[in-house]
Amino acid sequence: MLILRLAWRNLFRNIRRTVLTCLLIASSLLTIILMDGIMLGMIDVMIGSLTHTLEGEAQINGKGFRDDYEPNIRLRNYQEIQQKLMHDPAVQGSSPRIIIGAMIASTNNNSGALVYGVDASTETSVSKLADAVYAGEFLSGKEREIMLGRPMAELLEVEIGDRLVLTSSTVDSKEIVQELFRLSGLFEFGPESLDENLIFINLDKAQTLFELPGSAHQIAIRFKQPELANDPSLDLYKSFNNDSTEANGWLALQPTMGAMLEMTGYSTFIVGSILFLLASLGIINSMFMSIYERIYEFGVLKAVGTRPANIIKLILTEAFYLALISCIFGMIFGYFISVYFSTNGIPMGRMEMSGIVLDGNMNTILMPYQFISFPVYVTLLTLIAAIYPALFASRIVPTEALQKAL
Amino acid sequence: MIPLINTVTVSRIFGKDEAKVTALDQVSLSIEAGEFTAIVGPSGSGKSTLLHLIGGLDKPDFGTVELNGENIADMSGNKLSDFRRDNIGFIFQAYNLIPVLSAAENIEYIMLLQGITAAKRRIRVKEMLDIVGLTGLENRRPAQLSGGQQQRVAVARAMATNPSIILADEPTANLDSKTGISLLDVMKELNQTKGMTFVFSTHDEKIIQRARRLVYLRDGLIEREETQ
Repeated sequence: MLILRLAWRNLFRNIRRTVLTCLLIASSLLTIILMDGIMLGMIDVMIGSLTHTLEGEAQINGKGFRDDYEPNIRLRNYQEIQQKLMHDPAVQGSSPRIIIGAMIASTNNNSGALVYGVDASTETSVSKLADAVYAGEFLSGKEREIMLGRPMAELLEVEIGDRLVLTSSTVDSKEIVQELFRLSGLFEFGPESLDENLIFINLDKAQTLFELPGSAHQIAIRFKQPELANDPSLDLYKSFNNDSTEANGWLALQPTMGAMLEMTGYSTFIVGSILFLLASLGIINSMFMSIYERIYEFGVLKAVGTRPANIIKLILTEAFYLALISCIFGMIFGYFISVYFSTNGIPMGRMEMSGIVLDGNMNTILMPYQFISFPVYVTLLTLIAAIYPALFASRIVPTEALQKAL
Repeated sequence: MIPLINTVTVSRIFGKDEAKVTALDQVSLSIEAGEFTAIVGPSGSGKSTLLHLIGGLDKPDFGTVELNGENIADMSGNKLSDFRRDNIGFIFQAYNLIPVLSAAENIEYIMLLQGITAAKRRIRVKEMLDIVGLTGLENRRPAQLSGGQQQRVAVARAMATNPSIILADEPTANLDSKTGISLLDVMKELNQTKGMTFVFSTHDEKIIQRARRLVYLRDGLIEREETQ
């Protein structure tokens, strides 16, 4: 107990230095808590943007369809699959799609495009296509409705109500087909790769046009709990990964996203490590200053029979208290600042990263581990940083230290 | 009978080559238990060096230092720390109390290292404070005590574990004459009533007058010895 008391009181011998060191440690903890919250928020926005824009949180495709979008690889029993999905407790919504390459032409210009035939009544449950419409209207099921992205509409120089001709071939007979549409809506997802290339028409029309009656290429899925999307133990993945279909979560569908998330984790680790390294240097410096100021005391302590191990214990106890005080303040400030940004968000404007649009405010995310694991890491690192000064103090030669006192 | 302290041809050399200084040159000295001895000499005569060697704070370059028959020059690490803790009490010129501990806690500290129970420590601290005349001041920190009072705490700390010997390096150098005499009287009384062995390093006349044995050092050599 006396050692604990001694260590505690030693902390307050030079209050200014203790406060500054605490500020250094606390601000490191606060920064890492905030940074992790921001990273989690960014990941959340990125995943949300990826999965909720168009892809869905998971997809069931004809086996091999996603390799090169071969239109002949289809889900012939998509309605049966949808029925099963409706009864799956994990699934919130699903929507079938036909995806096929085509040529779109206006009176002024033409362009290649990827046509999505979507079910207007269910598409809203898996993507934000309806929300992305900024002019005209979302599909309503009418036969000649067609939606283009803003850049495509600019290229074709068309406005709402203008005529467009879609040219492609039927899937089985490979016959050229042409169909007249009237531009019913303009959309803007954000990523140019989507807005420049995609066209949306009604599913029924696509099935008729491309001779795919009762078939779809893809069923996009959204879960009640998004974190389940990459859980391979889900019944959905077990049931629909077979000879004719494949079911994958967004991470498998977008492996680049997985790599990005991994990189995000690494960057948090690297920045955190640099931060803690700098803080550790500050701690070492502060501890050494404290030891040099008290060098005669260590000489006395050793002279009266204190073992080197007890000197190490004393210094480490001081470092532990320092970390403890710092962590309490770091956690309190970290909590309130994180709560503020998780409620009010950090204004980010609009930016596109790797085909993913981050738009508006980004809300940081608070997690319990930020207030459990990070303070433990900070405490451990403070103790590690204090080992060298502690060893130095334990090796002080009493006669030399006592001479310095005179 | 084995003397309490026995230094045999002890030498201590500081520095190297041209800067080499022989602080002690083959000094042999025996001190019996219960002595009240002063090692006397001018600055640089080697008295503090000899005291440090006897206390195990420093190691001789040549010779042996025996305390209770054990050669402490061969000890190191924890063994030496434990030996100092259990056998030697130190009183320093600059008091050298731990400023953040109270008078009682400063006295208690070594007993804590020895693993003595809290109850026994409290009793012993009270007893020590009573002996050095500081009862009622146990909760004061060193900064709240006068120089004389601080040195009394240092005496109490040195005695608290009943060491074989108390080594006092210029204990009165920072005290005024009256306070120094008062402190010496306390130590003299402890020597007479409890048989504690005191070895001083000093050139203070007050100590020289009270010591029973005087060992005069000059240039690292024992010049002469006197018994009073």
